[in-house]
Amino acid sequence: MIVRVVPAASPVRDAIRRRMALAWAAALAFGAGACSLAGYAAAKLPAPAPFEELAYYPSGQALQPATLGHAESAADLAWLRAVQYYGEHRQTDLRFTQMQHVFEVLSALSPSFESPCIFGAFGLAQEGRDFPAAEQLMLHSLERRPRSGRLAFELGFLYFVRPGGRDLRKAAEYFELASRLPGSPASAARFAAASRQNAGDLRMAYQLWSEVRANSPNRYLRELAEREIDKIAEAIATGRAEIAVRRMGTPAVIIR
Amino acid sequence: MIALLVAQNTFREVVRDRVLMGLVIGGLVLLAVTRIASPLAMGEGLRLTVDLGLSSISWLGLLVVLTVGTALVSKEIDRRTIFNLLSRPLPRPFYLFGKWLGLTVALATVAAILGSVLWLVVALLGHGHYAGSIAEAVYLATLELAVINSLAVMFSALSTPLLSALYTLGFFLGGQWCGDLRRLASHCPDGLKVMLESAANVLPNLPLFNMRTLAAAGELTSWTHLGLASAYAALYCACVLSLAAAAFESRDFK
Amino acid sequence: MPEPNTVKPPRSDRQPLAGERSIPGHARRGVDPAAGPAVSIRGLTKSYRHPWTQKVTRGLEPLTLDVHRGEVFGYLGPNGAGKTTTLKILTGLLKPTGGTAMILGEPIERVSSRARIGFLPEQPYFYDSLNGLEYLEFVARLSGMPGRDATRAARAWLAKVGLGERERQVLRKYSKGMLQRLGLAAAMVHEPELLILDEPMSGLDPFGRRDVRDLILEQRERGTTVLFSSHILPDVEALCDRVAILLEGKLERVATVGDLIDGTAPVVEVHVEGARVFEIPPRLAPVIERSDAGGSTALRLREPERLQELLGWLLSERIAVNSVTPVRPSLEQLFMAAAERSAFQAQSERRPA
Repeated sequence: MIVRVVPAASPVRDAIRRRMALAWAAALAFGAGACSLAGYAAAKLPAPAPFEELAYYPSGQALQPATLGHAESAADLAWLRAVQYYGEHRQTDLRFTQMQHVFEVLSALSPSFESPCIFGAFGLAQEGRDFPAAEQLMLHSLERRPRSGRLAFELGFLYFVRPGGRDLRKAAEYFELASRLPGSPASAARFAAASRQNAGDLRMAYQLWSEVRANSPNRYLRELAEREIDKIAEAIATGRAEIAVRRMGTPAVIIR
Repeated sequence: MIALLVAQNTFREVVRDRVLMGLVIGGLVLLAVTRIASPLAMGEGLRLTVDLGLSSISWLGLLVVLTVGTALVSKEIDRRTIFNLLSRPLPRPFYLFGKWLGLTVALATVAAILGSVLWLVVALLGHGHYAGSIAEAVYLATLELAVINSLAVMFSALSTPLLSALYTLGFFLGGQWCGDLRRLASHCPDGLKVMLESAANVLPNLPLFNMRTLAAAGELTSWTHLGLASAYAALYCACVLSLAAAAFESRDFK
Repeated sequence: MPEPNTVKPPRSDRQPLAGERSIPGHARRGVDPAAGPAVSIRGLTKSYRHPWTQKVTRGLEPLTLDVHRGEVFGYLGPNGAGKTTTLKILTGLLKPTGGTAMILGEPIERVSSRARIGFLPEQPYFYDSLNGLEYLEFVARLSGMPGRDATRAARAWLAKVGLGERERQVLRKYSKGMLQRLGLAAAMVHEPELLILDEPMSGLDPFGRRDVRDLILEQRERGTTVLFSSHILPDVEALCDRVAILLEGKLERVATVGDLIDGTAPVVEVHVEGARVFEIPPRLAPVIERSDAGGSTALRLREPERLQELLGWLLSERIAVNSVTPVRPSLEQLFMAAAERSAFQAQSERRPA
């Protein structure tokens, strides 16, 4: 049986309630003051330069022991800050002087965290207009994860859309590598074949398209491969490479 | 004032607990390590010493708050030493304020000792002009510890030491992201913006107390910054301790 | 609301103990009868609600009680009766569910009501890292004594409770008895007008208990009101002017010790040779309680006026009488009887109609 007890009037409880109400009122007043000051400080004081602390560390390797086994979490936090860094400079001066270092640190902290490296590399190559830095970043990442089909594919794609001039041969090399590694997209083999073809390596392209025709589970890809094989065969037979080789446009970066 | 008696007693307890001694020794060891490792820093040895020296004050201070501060009140309740105090003409809010003040003064003392040693080391390296920036950084670090300590005391009055430590640590970590929350809020739609700004207001604005980057370069901050940080720390601590007092007022001690 | 018992406490003509030291400046406090009771409780209740089941348990039924100024008042009850609950409500450690109380004319909800009381909690705990002098100075100053006075009083009280030579020893090295004495000193260091002691004899050896008794009596001589709880009845009997018996949160009775004992019927105990087998005659059997132990039989006659009748019968049966002793029931026996009555009553109330 639950006994419902209605407390009798008690001056002691009333006094306690009054003191509690006073304390709550004081807390609200002080809290409002603190919030106002915090907002004023945020507006008035210079914002700290983002990502300075990560830029201080010589390398991700040096930082890793300091994370005490929490390198993955540290990498996650670093990624959040890296995104802010990118965003701030994307919206202001488009100067990403620390970006390579920042993403190198990230990659060293957590080699399996591939998305940031890919993001960083493309950011460097395009908005940052620093293709060599982007290339280095991806190569180092791939060195740390040599069995990653995704990284290999993205590196190939980096060459494929290189601003100012595609490097189709290098692209094809990495697309081919990706097609042999786990984790790459299904279109890696096709990209490899198309890149070889448009780079003018027709015999190699013929081989690659044959593999696609033989192995692809996708009917449309097999039909596409068939058509390209016919084109290449004709180009080789007639000695007119332009039948098979398509002139691709030059990639450019337009920032709005 | 009666709260000062409680503060004095708390300070005495913390000092005799050898916690502070451990803190000072830890800080000094770290400073020594930075000097030993400085040749590896390729010319940035001074920056390494100042940076790590200032960081050690914050980290060691945080450690003390999480181990001692979060048990400050709950330990007295568990061990029933609080009966001897609250049965005297000591209002409960004054008791909480005294506990907070005692530990804050202890932390300020350690920060001052370690800051002084750091300046001495830096001065011996020929950079005595770092005094101002180190003093400012230590002062702000002390304010930061005072703010976290107020949270620790509040949680200690309401919960067990373990939970208090977890909550305090959570607020500390969240507080480090205050600035980012505000920046994120400015890019968000209205509903989310209000939520994020509210979260940023509830969390302690700890980046306000961080001038380690400036200090590492020997630079001073503005008087506006120091004034704002001091006022904010005072208001935030007052708010938290008032909340603690409100909850503590109705607590029964069986 | 029922009026409390208004019996005035008797004064004792106690002589100072041999070797007893007095605290300089500790004059005897005058007791002004017009000043009102030291403690005045009206309808005080305390209930506890379980946070999960919401079941309510009554810790204290409506309690109405006065403790007169200058008396030693014993607060009796078994464990869990509500004694500590009452004392903690008076000292601000627990908040009552209902009712009011005044201490020396001030309502207990005011923090200032605690300025003139000294409280000794049950099994007191102290700060391990402080020494005796530091601790007493601290609590004396918390109770409003200025710094120098606090130090002087702390030293004097440490000496008085036999800890004078250990004033610099840290409290973690104190024995249980030493801690209890320190707790008493802490309760008295600021010369309170009202002492509230929760089980002050708890855990003490006979010497320690004697010292505490002497301290309490000395305080009474000084005019200090003493309210203490205990379940050690011989001590209560020896010290108290009045006694309240609390059972299962309810106040059973308040009276002087003398009234409690005088109010009960005396008994005569007759010891006879137990070697012989005999039967008590039917006319005497209802008023006699027989207990056989070894070679002796004890006959407790509940109606002493029929002693002659019993002796006559024993003589006629040639049963040898070893002794005839009038027995006054002790407080312990009264207490046990009251407890049994209360338990029986509670059981009847719980039995379904």
